[in-house]
Amino acid sequence: MTRRPAILAAALVAMVLGAASAGAAEQVTVERESRLYAEPRLDARELAVLAPGVVADVAGKSGAWLNVRTPSAAGWVFSFNVRFGTKSSGAAPVSSGAEDSAIGRVFGPRRDVNVTSTIGVRGLDSEDLRQAHFNAEQMKLLDGYALSKDAAEQGARAKGLSAAQVDYLEGASR
Amino acid sequence: MIGLPRAGIVAALVLAALGHGHAATIDLNRIFDIGKDVATAASGLSEDEEIAVGREVAGRTLGAAPLVADPELQAYVNQVGRWVAAQTERPDLPWHFGVIASPAINAFAAPGGYVLVTRGLYEILDNEAQLAGVLGHEIGHIVRRHHITVMQQSAAVSAGAKIAQGGDRSYLVNNLIGTGAEVLARGLDKDAEFEADRVGVILAARAGYDPYALVDVLQKLAARGQDDQALVLLFKTHPAPGERLNHLGDALTPRIAQLPSGAAPALRQVSAPATAPAAAKPVPIEGARALQQEAPAAPAQSSQDSGSGGIDGGAILRGIFGR
Repeated sequence: MTRRPAILAAALVAMVLGAASAGAAEQVTVERESRLYAEPRLDARELAVLAPGVVADVAGKSGAWLNVRTPSAAGWVFSFNVRFGTKSSGAAPVSSGAEDSAIGRVFGPRRDVNVTSTIGVRGLDSEDLRQAHFNAEQMKLLDGYALSKDAAEQGARAKGLSAAQVDYLEGASR
Repeated sequence: MIGLPRAGIVAALVLAALGHGHAATIDLNRIFDIGKDVATAASGLSEDEEIAVGREVAGRTLGAAPLVADPELQAYVNQVGRWVAAQTERPDLPWHFGVIASPAINAFAAPGGYVLVTRGLYEILDNEAQLAGVLGHEIGHIVRRHHITVMQQSAAVSAGAKIAQGGDRSYLVNNLIGTGAEVLARGLDKDAEFEADRVGVILAARAGYDPYALVDVLQKLAARGQDDQALVLLFKTHPAPGERLNHLGDALTPRIAQLPSGAAPALRQVSAPATAPAAAKPVPIEGARALQQEAPAAPAQSSQDSGSGGIDGGAILRGIFGR
């Protein structure tokens, strides 16, 4: 019974936004004007420029790039130029509950998370921190888990990781 | 290295002298000696002192939320974190990492190499590269000494109060933490957060991880929205995730073609059941006590007296995601 309005609402939203595919398409809203490339490379052919507010379906991800489809074009944009969800759903483009349908599928398999369902269990807030007292027992535990640089490197190599030389990013905001 | 503006110290001294009832009888030599001490503690904090301050802050945070009772998880996070920290210009700090029992989504860095991630944050991560990005952001705060800078600013303001107390070094350090907490409660400089994001991305890349994993985490935070109870403190103390994405994007765009693609190994799952944080018992201030031992001229201030004055809780922390 309670499903009907939800289905109806979803259908309406899909129609309004011109979602090409049926059902729970993963959608992003373009936050900043973005060039749409034919491939996830800066030297790829530029197909279009997406204006802020344009809503697109997400088809895939590769590094910093998202493969998106609008009603008129399909290609790759920088992932940090879009936000998941649509403006029609308010300040939070996608609610916590709906997160599985969007970000989860783009960024990888989500695990069963029981974070926001712990209503009544207060998270760590500034007052908790202000009133906290030093816990020596816990510090002893923390000390016990510390690892040497060499041991950490061995662990990384065992996972196939190796160090790369990469310069720090320039500070654009300073 | 004196980072505190000398004029600021002098102004504080003058203000203190003017505001003090015995201004007319103050021994000027003594004032200048103490002033030098204030300058040293506030700006030229030695690495040992930085670590002692951070240790105190980390211990207090564990008083608010203990470690998740999962030794294998904690060892795993230390392996990842220590490896990422080894890619910095401060690879030999006593780095410590931990996952703390809180459903809040946040992470904290304390000076000297202490990084704590909440279970709430850990559980929204999809892979080890995202963990490396989050830890890299926190490590960035420590490597760039962001908290120390904030404490210096507070210490400059409160230098006058210190002078009335006499000149012991442990008092100075306690004072650094105490006043620093007030500053951090207001949140850090936005630029410090943007900088930590830029550092986090690069440290993850240096450690062989997908550099864009931190971008993915910020997208997750942005998608959760302002109303999410798990994010109250994080949103209070950090620029909005969307703003962070914009800044990070600006910095990344010119480098996109050069950054290595990196790996995203599977993330270890938490095996301990979720429990409410245990209440913490007051215990002596370890860091402050250690410093008092170095300061023979310490006044008769009880090291048990952690609830008043001096050190104000783990609020000194920088969370990350903050601080």
